[in-house]
Amino acid sequence: MMKNFLRSVAAMAIISWSGAVLAEVAVIVHPSAGFDSLTADEISRLFLGKSKSFPNGSPAIPLNQDDGSATRDQFNQAICNKSPSQYKAYWSKLVFTGKGTPPKDSGDDAAVKTLVAGNPKMIGYVDASAVDDSVKVIYKLP
Amino acid sequence: MNVNNTQRKKHGLALAIAGLMLTPWAQAADVNISGFLSVGGGFVDDENSIAYGGYDDEDLTFDKNLLGLQVSGKVNEKISATVQMIARSSDDYDFSAEWAYLTWQATENSKVRVGRLRTPFYMFSDYLDVGYTYAWISAPQELYYLPFNNVNGIDYYLTSALGSFDTSFQVYVGSFDDDFVLTGISATAESKNQMGVAATIGRDWWTLRAAYHQTDLTIEFSDFQLSETVSFNQFLGQLEASPFADTVTKVLVDEDRTTFAEVGLNIDTGRFVAAAEYVEFDVEDSFLSKNIRHYIMGGVRAGDFLFHVTSAKSDDELASPEAGIPVSAETAPIIGTLQAIAATRGEFRDTVSYGVRWDVSSGVALKLQYDDVDDNKGEQKVFSVALQSVF
Repeated sequence: MMKNFLRSVAAMAIISWSGAVLAEVAVIVHPSAGFDSLTADEISRLFLGKSKSFPNGSPAIPLNQDDGSATRDQFNQAICNKSPSQYKAYWSKLVFTGKGTPPKDSGDDAAVKTLVAGNPKMIGYVDASAVDDSVKVIYKLP
Repeated sequence: MNVNNTQRKKHGLALAIAGLMLTPWAQAADVNISGFLSVGGGFVDDENSIAYGGYDDEDLTFDKNLLGLQVSGKVNEKISATVQMIARSSDDYDFSAEWAYLTWQATENSKVRVGRLRTPFYMFSDYLDVGYTYAWISAPQELYYLPFNNVNGIDYYLTSALGSFDTSFQVYVGSFDDDFVLTGISATAESKNQMGVAATIGRDWWTLRAAYHQTDLTIEFSDFQLSETVSFNQFLGQLEASPFADTVTKVLVDEDRTTFAEVGLNIDTGRFVAAAEYVEFDVEDSFLSKNIRHYIMGGVRAGDFLFHVTSAKSDDELASPEAGIPVSAETAPIIGTLQAIAATRGEFRDTVSYGVRWDVSSGVALKLQYDDVDDNKGEQKVFSVALQSVF
């Protein structure tokens, strides 16, 4: 009994640990973007609506993955330092005051990649395994 | 001071803008609809003592519900229209337009809004009705009681990065007419030449805020009894006929210069949250007291839970409409009555609130709160619960 319990605790620990490490998230832009990397802070400012253009001055359109996506939660926690509910509360403050509009929920890895590949203004994030030549990776987490 | 809005119906402008938005742009993808909801209830420990936060019953009542809908649509690249409609249980769920305005995005970082706007009195004014955005069920009563929440006018809002700090600056001019109830007395208020500024500076986890507003305020009170034999208006009539007729203007709120000043600090590190705010609200040359109110709040997050404690204080300065009347046996009754009128307008209270917010899932929070109220008019304990959501 005790043995089984310990075994399942160990199993859960391994699953959650490996789950946390396996997912690698890539922040992507159009290949023609005039820069090769951004800092986490610069990315965070774009996704929190504090800045509306890339550091080089060209306009930026950040894209979210859909609510509930594990990639989105990981990105928001690591880059914006907000849990899903804190992220929601943060944007509610801006939405219900007419002071801002959150990045648009734009689907999953494939959908975000396709959008970013087709628009030099866009910036998104996808699971690193989804990256191909159609986009440029400018930041990787963890 | 216990103030309730009973009427806030400015449907005309709202319907006009809603109509504008629905016709040509209904097909466009640029119409955003968002909403928020709060369903709440509570009960007090002793219904023979003072009411607090709208609760005065020892049985659980669910009468603090509201539903808000916000529709915004792009008119063109630079101009958008926004309407926020709110239905409150206290208003029989009549939808009324809280805000309705047109926004002109002047530059990337600045905008001009025209219409019915939220007055930026307090730190949480802008999203006061969206309980989901903060820890409490509702913001501290001691500060967040002003009925004149909205203004018809124009504002300018500018955000900028100052080195590594984020700043915002808002300035507005406008006016309003409003009906409300002030401690059981119904009244109409009219503000003219209202203007104000609010500015914030912050960085990652902290924001400092300051605001200053002024207006020429007129409040007409419906008559009320001062004693069993004399009403407010009768007393004013006697005063008018006495040698101290000029004292009448020190009682009435008649185009009196009114000022509101605020400073606040908000902190959210992810693990810890804290907030503090101090306000002074003064209607010069009237029988209303100078309201001096403040609170400090601290909290900690643990997983999906946020535990918080708040200490709020009302420490008003009573008006002295009797100033200038020489003290004598003859004037004693007048002075006494004037002081008694002024005394009813002061609030002296210490409230300690304990609360927990549980983020049930993204967009839904369940909150519990316990308020321990120590007022010079009595003590009270209030238990309340609310489910708050954004969608």
